[in-house]
Amino acid sequence: MAFRDVNARRHIGLQQLSSLASTGRTFLGPMKSHKFIVDESTNQSRLIFSAVRLIESLDLTSAVGQLLHETIQAQNKEFKTGMSTLLFLVGAWSNAVVECLQQNVPVPAIVSVMSEGLNSCCERVQCLQIPIHDVKKELCSSRVRPKAFESRTGQVGRDSLTHPWNLLCFQRDISATEVIPINSCSHQGDDCNFNKCLVSPLAGFGSAASVVKAVSDKSSSALSGSGVTASSCITRKLTHSRHFSALGKSHFSSQQDNFQGYLSGPRADPCGCRGLGHLAMALSHGNQSSVKLLQSIAAYQQERAECSGSSQINIAEIVTCCVLGLPESYSCVSPGFVTLVSPEQATVIKHLADKPLRILLMDGDLTEQYRHLGFNRPRNVRTVLEHPNPQGGRAGDLWLSRMSDILMSFEVNLVLVKGSVCKNFMERCIASRILVIGCVSRDVLCAFGAATGAQAVTYLSQLNASRIGNGAWVELWAASDGRAVDLGELVPARISAGGIALLTAVLTTALPSKAQLLEDQFWTLLYRLHHALKDGRVFPGGGAVELLCLSHIQALEGQPGRPGNDRVVTEFPSPWLAEYKSVVLQALASGWKRYLAVVLCNTAKASSELEAGALVDHHLQKAAACGSSSAYILEEFRRGGVLRGGCDPFPDQFTDLKVCDNVAAKTEAWRRALDLVLLVLQTDAEIITGPRRNQILNSSVSNKFMFL
Amino acid sequence: MSRLEAKKPPLFISEPLTGDAVSQSLSLLSGILKSSYGPAGRLKQLHNGVGGCVCTTSQSSALLGHLSVSQPVLRVLTASVRNHVSRFSDCGLFTAILCCGFIENFRSLNVAPFTVIKISKHLLSLCMDHLKSEACGCRVSVDFSSVETLVCLVRSILTSKPACMLNKTEVDHLTSLVLKAFIFTVPCHVETNAVLGKCVIIPVKGRRVVDSTVLPGLLIETPEIQLENSLAVKRTGSNMIKIALFSVSMSGDGFNPEEGTIAVQHGVSLEVSELNQLLNVGKQLVKDEVGLVVCQKVMHPSLKQYLKENGVMAVDRAGLSLMEPLGRMTGSQPIASIHSLSPGCYGSLKDLCFEGFASKHFLHLIPEDTVICSLVLCNRSETAWDELKRVCETAEHVLQLTVKEPLALLGGGCTETHLASYIRHKSSSLPASTFKDLDCSQTQYQLVADGFCRSLESVARSLSHDGEEILTDMVYGHCWFVPSGSPCVSKWSDLVSKCGCGMNGNTEDLSWRFLQYQSGSPFIQACPKEPSVKVADLLTLDCFAAKCSGLQVALETANLILDLSYIIEDQN
Repeated sequence: MAFRDVNARRHIGLQQLSSLASTGRTFLGPMKSHKFIVDESTNQSRLIFSAVRLIESLDLTSAVGQLLHETIQAQNKEFKTGMSTLLFLVGAWSNAVVECLQQNVPVPAIVSVMSEGLNSCCERVQCLQIPIHDVKKELCSSRVRPKAFESRTGQVGRDSLTHPWNLLCFQRDISATEVIPINSCSHQGDDCNFNKCLVSPLAGFGSAASVVKAVSDKSSSALSGSGVTASSCITRKLTHSRHFSALGKSHFSSQQDNFQGYLSGPRADPCGCRGLGHLAMALSHGNQSSVKLLQSIAAYQQERAECSGSSQINIAEIVTCCVLGLPESYSCVSPGFVTLVSPEQATVIKHLADKPLRILLMDGDLTEQYRHLGFNRPRNVRTVLEHPNPQGGRAGDLWLSRMSDILMSFEVNLVLVKGSVCKNFMERCIASRILVIGCVSRDVLCAFGAATGAQAVTYLSQLNASRIGNGAWVELWAASDGRAVDLGELVPARISAGGIALLTAVLTTALPSKAQLLEDQFWTLLYRLHHALKDGRVFPGGGAVELLCLSHIQALEGQPGRPGNDRVVTEFPSPWLAEYKSVVLQALASGWKRYLAVVLCNTAKASSELEAGALVDHHLQKAAACGSSSAYILEEFRRGGVLRGGCDPFPDQFTDLKVCDNVAAKTEAWRRALDLVLLVLQTDAEIITGPRRNQILNSSVSNKFMFL
Repeated sequence: MSRLEAKKPPLFISEPLTGDAVSQSLSLLSGILKSSYGPAGRLKQLHNGVGGCVCTTSQSSALLGHLSVSQPVLRVLTASVRNHVSRFSDCGLFTAILCCGFIENFRSLNVAPFTVIKISKHLLSLCMDHLKSEACGCRVSVDFSSVETLVCLVRSILTSKPACMLNKTEVDHLTSLVLKAFIFTVPCHVETNAVLGKCVIIPVKGRRVVDSTVLPGLLIETPEIQLENSLAVKRTGSNMIKIALFSVSMSGDGFNPEEGTIAVQHGVSLEVSELNQLLNVGKQLVKDEVGLVVCQKVMHPSLKQYLKENGVMAVDRAGLSLMEPLGRMTGSQPIASIHSLSPGCYGSLKDLCFEGFASKHFLHLIPEDTVICSLVLCNRSETAWDELKRVCETAEHVLQLTVKEPLALLGGGCTETHLASYIRHKSSSLPASTFKDLDCSQTQYQLVADGFCRSLESVARSLSHDGEEILTDMVYGHCWFVPSGSPCVSKWSDLVSKCGCGMNGNTEDLSWRFLQYQSGSPFIQACPKEPSVKVADLLTLDCFAAKCSGLQVALETANLILDLSYIIEDQN
């Protein structure tokens, strides 16, 4: 065993933490700068957009790095948001704790006061929580729409200067269209319901003009940006206007079903989706590209929820599909499952289009060698062939024909496989016009199972008639203006079934390096909305919560006695504690203070951290003077933002654009950050076990280690 | 042609304890252990240095389990401590630190090891007699009719490991859960020989601690969400669910014998014949009206499908650890072969339901009357969860030990200082016949007794990690902490507020003195008294059985090591 003292003089672990965390500084706040990570040995580079991807790409073999990675991953797994906050606070708090150590504050005092202080702050900020119901009311009651668009247009000009990446997304927003479904809650594939599309009158909204324009001017490119979901079939619906729905006839057409129940164009009633669209906007923190997708998803799921009675966003019913080569404005939400298929499969799809299909779900691989998990292949079985048959083909061919016979005999047209598919079998299926799609996630299989009545099997030999589902259909996915996507080797296809709950967010981009960013952003926003609905409440954003924490810590410092005594048994009599208490609480506060300052700097509301700090202090004083700081902060938030400074270049821009944060994600990020810092603080030694010990023993650093 | 290397002669090392390497290693080990001790103890990061998972801990079982010790002397020590921990779960660091203390203190005495061993054994018997007597001032009796002492006991264990990262609310929540789980494991109807049940810990990592919960019965994780309304389970006439429990693999690969080769005719598929046998078992199960089949290992998908189609719920991959409690809870015999199904091996269940925690899905098996429960344990990070799991297991074990012997010892260093005071008092008033029986002089006895007491006190001193001064009082012999950097004051009572275990306050003058006792400054130790008021609100308590055993193991191990005169090392 090799043993190294961590606390030689200054705490090495905390220093490592702070230097690792400092790399993620620019990811804080709504305006993020992207980074390149270059591997010097291979000269490969990677574009990084977020704290999770950053930590993923760093080579973290040290113990502290591992713990940091673990912490960020845990936050990411549960919330998909708050990782940059977490990373930043880890750095800020480890710096602050090192300063406490230099002032000879005993470790148990730091641990106890900081963890109790955070606890107390988390309780205090609960009074800022806004119930979802109120958020929706508030957001919808204000004249949000037109003004918000204007302000965003203003924002684009500024953004595009600093972030050329964002140019495309913001351009598109200039004449943003909204998507709402008016799909009825037909679950069982009742065809006539699909066409009961109501077309709302195109009344009273400025942006309506652009939609109409897009319809007439099909050549309008992405930069004119109107056709987010205005597909050709929608165009037809629009031209037919409301008379279309009055027909009440049942035209079953998979082409029209592409946007079954979807309607492009501005909404007559801004509260039509009961404020979820606005909530998504408030949670998006300026990330416009995903908001529209979210609004579609929210509306679609809300529509279904009317039948089931739940009001939450169901994440398991959403998948994403990245389509490279189309401009970003083509991103949209499609009901069903959109995936990329090979050109050979595409020909099968063309053949199968317009037909109701019999669908089979498989939860393993579709290869001859595959056996279910836990099946141990026998090693000592020898097959004896007594009468060789020169005509007999290879054993593999036998399997192929047996399996395709099974599929044929059950008249299966479509097979979704969770694992991989044998190449030869795929070819044979294509020849017999059976579409087989591999690598389909479990959620997708579940959704198709629920919609078609199919039950997954592991082996084809298990198949019986009751396992096969009916009523699926397949088509090639076409972009919203009908532009067929045939951009490379892979072609997007859409598989759906009557009443399926599954939605695919099709993310299009012309820049391959941006695909991951779009996908991450989409999931982040989706999870934010999901958690906001789950928590039932949100925090006012834009620094409101952090400001209240700062003001609460000021109040705590003034209080006599200690906030609590949880982890240490030895109790310090109060006079000495009071001294430590204020130092440690200051350290806790410095984390949030630096957080606010950096956010202000990153969003260009302050030119330097010093100036930003002064601005924060100014607001703290105002809050203190007001008597009730929470009331002051809420009032400021209602007025349009908490930390508005004098040098805000667009002082009136953000007045209608309210920002909200998740409750649990934020407080959990704080707690995880502090836990990590305190865990490392309390660590005084690293013990290296296993074979690495001998390497260290023989290496030049062996004098830094002790051996047992 | 291969060459044979001549065997090397074994290496003899005489007087192994006098070597420099040994004393360095010993002091390093004792340094690691001492720095980890107690609720303010420092944590150790155990990892393999190449990016493996990091274990942050201050727990003896994790520390000693990972250390690779090359010194034979230290290996004796760690082996006996680990053996103690495997039997009692608690007081591992206490045992190890005390043992190191005994070795260090006795080695420096100028007394023959033989005599030291005899005297120290006598001292140990004095301690044990005192601990077992009614008049012992450092133990409290545990009243199982009320919850307060039990809460203190569990809370002390939970707070003793800082790597669990718990705050006050979380400690309270977990304390109540651990107690609740324990109460579930106590049988309601006690017959002649009552056996305590079992609490199974279900891991849910990455979640808040307050999301943890306790459920009666067992939870089996089911990876796939049963979409269909599969809770309509077949029930027997008495509205119970009949359950069959298989410990044999039902994956259909059972034709795999240990050795030898099977020759099979072409066209004959062993897999198919094996599957047919499985399906026959399935038919039998359906005929016997079984409602739930649980398999420890994997079930063939075709068998699962067959059972499902016939209204029988099938769960596989339950895991070995669940088998014993499952059998106990349902009264079923695990079936170890698919060739013999006797109707007597089925058990019964009251109900079934689905539970979801975080992203995991579980089948909840609810029995009629049970001593088996499941503790769904959550913690935010992996490393903190691992520590918390060990701590909760320790707490459950300690409660079980306490049922057998309803006593607890004062924690926070008070038991150690109290025992030391008692031995100092007792050893100064022994009759001359004792020394004659032990074949030693009174001076020798005093020297060894002093070393014994200093070893005990060094354990109490290990609770201080931030330069706190440690005092003891002359009345009760408890342990007191003065924070570092405290100013000079005329009265000790201004500096101390409460003793380590929390039983005594600073209201009366208890004539404090420094624990670092110099032999030069004589004082007369009176017999430490039993405190008049018993059980304050938040006492720190330790497990009686574990600490008594720890004391004995430490001394016996130290004596064994002191008695070593040769180490013979095989160099081949």
